[in-house]
Amino acid sequence: MMNTALPEMLHCLQTPENLAGNGADLTVLERQRAQLKWLQQQQQQYQQIYFSESQFNVFLPPTTDALQLQDLINNDTTLQKLVNRSMKADSGLANEWPDFGKYSTTSTGFAGQATSFASNGLEPNSLAMGHCLSRTSSCPPAMTLPDGEGRDSVFIASVVERERMKKRKADEAQNPMVTVSEDIRDKRVKVDAEEMESKITEQNTSATISDTPPTTTTHNSNKNDNANNNNNREASSDTSKENPKAPQVPKPDYIHVRARRGQATDSHSLAERVRREKISDRMKYLQNLVPGCNKITGKAGMLDEIINYVQSLQRQVEFLSMKLAAVNPRIDFSVDNLFRKESAQTFPAPDCTGNFSTAGLSSEMANPAYLQFNPVHQVVSLDNPQEMALRRTFSAPMAVPADTFNETASFTQVPHSCSTWENDLQGLYNMGFHQQGRSSAGFPPHAFPGMPEANNLKMEM
Amino acid sequence: MASPSSFKQELLKKWVLGLQSCCSMAKDMGISERKKAIKLSADLAMASARDGRTCWSRAVIANASKQNESKILVQKILGSECERLVKASSIGFSSCNKRFTSKRILRRSCSSLRRIRRSAPKRVQASSIAKRMVKKRTQLLKGLVPGGESMDEFSLIEETLDYIISLRAQIDVMRCLADASERLKSQ
Repeated sequence: MMNTALPEMLHCLQTPENLAGNGADLTVLERQRAQLKWLQQQQQQYQQIYFSESQFNVFLPPTTDALQLQDLINNDTTLQKLVNRSMKADSGLANEWPDFGKYSTTSTGFAGQATSFASNGLEPNSLAMGHCLSRTSSCPPAMTLPDGEGRDSVFIASVVERERMKKRKADEAQNPMVTVSEDIRDKRVKVDAEEMESKITEQNTSATISDTPPTTTTHNSNKNDNANNNNNREASSDTSKENPKAPQVPKPDYIHVRARRGQATDSHSLAERVRREKISDRMKYLQNLVPGCNKITGKAGMLDEIINYVQSLQRQVEFLSMKLAAVNPRIDFSVDNLFRKESAQTFPAPDCTGNFSTAGLSSEMANPAYLQFNPVHQVVSLDNPQEMALRRTFSAPMAVPADTFNETASFTQVPHSCSTWENDLQGLYNMGFHQQGRSSAGFPPHAFPGMPEANNLKMEM
Repeated sequence: MASPSSFKQELLKKWVLGLQSCCSMAKDMGISERKKAIKLSADLAMASARDGRTCWSRAVIANASKQNESKILVQKILGSECERLVKASSIGFSSCNKRFTSKRILRRSCSSLRRIRRSAPKRVQASSIAKRMVKKRTQLLKGLVPGGESMDEFSLIEETLDYIISLRAQIDVMRCLADASERLKSQ
């Protein structure tokens, strides 16, 4: 899992994000007014505490075909990824790109902010669907206008202010749901939820999609994103995204990041902002990985903690190798014995371990007569490892006190081929991981025919 | 790798192979030599179990293959894909080094410029202090993660993530073995 799934692990912490969509047909004047209002609203929202919430305002001009936009977005996978990524970076929770095609162009008036917290962000073919909980919408049902797939609800409202008030209420009603939303995969989400309780920072991301030259209109999609994670605070909280130009342009897969007011707009600082966001995203994961790092704010303190942790891990490795070197006079320290020992320890049955400890693994006392069975052992070891692991139990009656441990001696005589090693390891792990619950009582005593003195504790390879 | 346990399994397998080859190379060793050999083989096993896919594991392999005495060990542990990995890691590492030196030159020139500029307004801002603190710690972290000198900040953090997880697995495996051998010894 670690190998391949590390990036996935980094990304799999997805919870459905509240996405509220706006689809609207507006004249330029209306749009400007709405944006003004939106900005005012913004100021108020800063003082309020929201949970993971992101508004998505899409203003569609009446002349534009919405499908164009949808095609543009759907074709543009890198764009989607990037937007998703930045959303994750903002909030620590995953977003799905809202389906733009669901916003109908025929919607009249101001299709106000959708207050639905339903999973309208899901893509139809998204694999993450299984992971994401479909949110119930917490707004008045009369307001909902679900579309064909029911994934996307568009709310049509004339008054923006009222809409926003409702949204706020709905948001507050939503909050407990967010905290209890069960995510099977990761406890990280819980951590996030806890973090939400303590420190909630608001982030504002507005995405601007500049539109097609032929129609010479602009789609503004403003996404108001509240971040829950504290280490995002230091990062610049406002970013803007701009969709590529015309859908007719053959190569629309690059992304403009646009600065909001008061921010630097040159390309360097924009790139820097994106980079910083990426870094803070990763820092968040590190924060969850390193124990005791959750409570620390500030990058320097977090780095301190990470450094300490890595150092302690490295010191632990040093210490353990020292210990191994001290304990074992020889460097290979007859790893076979260790495996036997370890596999013995994995057995829960007390008498087994007891017998093993009394056996003492005294390989010196081994009867040389057992050596003739080495071929047999080897043959057995080439079996199905699972089966082998099952059979790797005591093959002698338990009642007899074990005084010699033959098998160890016999095994050390076996020339170590690679296959036996693999089998051995396999067996060890099978025992370790699959046989925890089993006791050796289920396995019948197994006597070798040529061994009258086989009353000893014996393991079969 | 599919799961942490399979990673550990791989690690253990490779480590045991390395230990055996260590043993076959040198019969009698002092405790410090033994410790060094054990640590080296464990690190190499960790890196090779990571399959050279990450920067730090490549750096570990490259560092080990540079030294003569550990070269054989590298070959033993890596086995069949040894050549590929060593080549890839050394290439990647050397290019990283080159980039690093050029970066250092750049930094040096930048810092001299900055020194001149900074001397003019004689006030120290809090943000600059914080920035310096972060930079210092980043340098420290770069020293800790193998091959970290050549990474930029973003990849450094990613590699640190990976490195921490791998270190944890390595410690688990080593502790398992240490416990077992200790118990074996006590009897």
